[in-house]
Amino acid sequence: MECYLGIDVGSVSTNFALIDKHGKMLKKLYLRTAGRPIETIKSGLKMLKEDLKDDIEIKGVGTTGSGRKLASVIVGADVVKNEITAHAVASISEIPTVQTILEIGGQDSKIIILRDGIVVDFAMNTVCAAGTGSFLDRQAQRLGIPIELFGEIAIRSKNPTRIAGRCAVFAESDMIHKQQLGYKVEDILKGLCQALVRNYLANVAKGKEINPPVVFQGGVAANSGIKRAFEEELGMEIIVPEHFDVMGALGAALLAKKAMSQNKQKQTNFYGFEAAFKEHRAESFECNGCPNLCEIVQIYVDNKLIARWGDRCGRWSENVAV
Amino acid sequence: MRIGVPRALFYYMYYPFWKIFFEALGHEVILSSPTNKKILKDGLEFAVDDACLPVKVFHGHIVDLLDRVDVLFIPRIISIEPGEFICPKFLGLPDMVKSSIPDLPPIIDSNLSVYKNRKDLIGHAKSIGTDLGHSSRLILKAYTIASTKFNSYKKFQISHEQLPLDSGQKSFFDSNSSYFSRHKNKCLGENTLNVLLLGHPYNIYDNYISMNLITKLQKNGIKVITPEIIPVKNISAGAKNLKKRLFWTMGKNIIGSTYYYMDCGKALDGIIHLASFGCGPDSIVGELLERKLSRNRLVPFLRINIDEHSGEEGFNTRLEAFIDVIEGRRRN
Repeated sequence: MECYLGIDVGSVSTNFALIDKHGKMLKKLYLRTAGRPIETIKSGLKMLKEDLKDDIEIKGVGTTGSGRKLASVIVGADVVKNEITAHAVASISEIPTVQTILEIGGQDSKIIILRDGIVVDFAMNTVCAAGTGSFLDRQAQRLGIPIELFGEIAIRSKNPTRIAGRCAVFAESDMIHKQQLGYKVEDILKGLCQALVRNYLANVAKGKEINPPVVFQGGVAANSGIKRAFEEELGMEIIVPEHFDVMGALGAALLAKKAMSQNKQKQTNFYGFEAAFKEHRAESFECNGCPNLCEIVQIYVDNKLIARWGDRCGRWSENVAV
Repeated sequence: MRIGVPRALFYYMYYPFWKIFFEALGHEVILSSPTNKKILKDGLEFAVDDACLPVKVFHGHIVDLLDRVDVLFIPRIISIEPGEFICPKFLGLPDMVKSSIPDLPPIIDSNLSVYKNRKDLIGHAKSIGTDLGHSSRLILKAYTIASTKFNSYKKFQISHEQLPLDSGQKSFFDSNSSYFSRHKNKCLGENTLNVLLLGHPYNIYDNYISMNLITKLQKNGIKVITPEIIPVKNISAGAKNLKKRLFWTMGKNIIGSTYYYMDCGKALDGIIHLASFGCGPDSIVGELLERKLSRNRLVPFLRINIDEHSGEEGFNTRLEAFIDVIEGRRRN
């Protein structure tokens, strides 16, 4: 069976999406990156391999996310795309009439505005990561609540408390203060959801025209408390697509499918699942060719140099004999 | 005498004039190195905390010049267009440098203000020449040569759409070999995407600060249009659309270019505004731009704020997504 693979390497999670030639999801994986992107990509490949039947043929691979470049040299990608475009492509495939995409991931959040099926505007969080997944993770941990139950508990609240959500650091001190005043956990959680939604709408979505259908995706979309807070604040229905947690990977797979179908002769660059059993090594050094002192990263596969990056001038990155 | 000219701030606008003028007076012009990590680091170390990125970078360029020049050229620029002003940080630049950096060579800090009359430029030239000990006759002669050549340079810049972009160590302007640098502003015919790049010249043309923005766009087959290659009369016509006159020259150029393109029906595929974090004038100019552009949503708009911590990855992600947006629009 012909398949296409999408890999989204983010700060918190590394996701895989395997689709068939009609774009249908066959298998998805949501793994924690845990600060070890290379190992996570490899274990993802191994897990996919174990689960799949032998008649699977990977015809194309796309990578996205902040680690897209790294993923592309490890697995051999046909398409390397930024996560904004990948998320938009996936969303359109699930809800073709989508006009607004709210995406909140591990460390960044974005808004994408579409009209008639094409992206017309977008924004990403700039200096502040308040309200993204890693902050919610930390707060859940501090309150001793499994992150999976965060939303469920928040929704129970009838009387949410007001939390200052301008800044993650102040939000945390405000939460501690509210706890010490004796507020219930569910009220604090709901208050936090509302504060984060307010912060998102005032910063990331500032000046953007939010029209329905509104799709909410990214890891944080699993949190029903945040979804509810968005619905209350915007006064419209929020759609969380089935594969909300791997939309980036799905988009990358769809982009790979599109790229390969446009050029039927082209063979995929995919190294095969064996890539997971090769030895990968990353090394870095400081180039002293000029006062910029760029940090060059070198990626070795089985002791063979396959990629280099980090230089401003191209002296190293453009000189890799593959 | 060796006169040190920092490759920063108004270098991208007036270097050709200064270079010809100083050489006509018989001096050697020493240019600082293109902005690099060390220059930025020195700038951050010496400049006051509240300064914007380009002013900090300017301080770094001064440090870069220290041991190799007899005199530093840091004009006190007040106004470069009649009835308009420049950001007040330029006015205080020589003083900021003097109070922040120790062991400086002598500094030429003549006032440059044409607020009342464009002809006051001669006074600026005279004061520089007098500081260097030249006779009025020689100064006037050098001024005439420099201003004539500078005017033809400006005309050439617009007619040939030459962006003042350095290439490696080489300056965009070389008075010795070829008269003008011929940085190719790629134009691929009908399928070219046209992007209006707005920002202060010292941000958009400094390859280090802008993280090679112009080159990155051009590599994607995009033709980059900047206020520097738009005829002055068009910018003025565009700026007249504002209800109130904008009295910052840089801001006026940014707004004027945008309005000109938006109102004259010229084909544009996208607009990028590159601003430095903490820029006072741009905080208002950016807001005006956003309002104008979001009202009709005819052209995709990307605003990028840069500071000394700018991560190139985040910058590239936004840029790539923006290019996808404008390509997608063109296809439809």
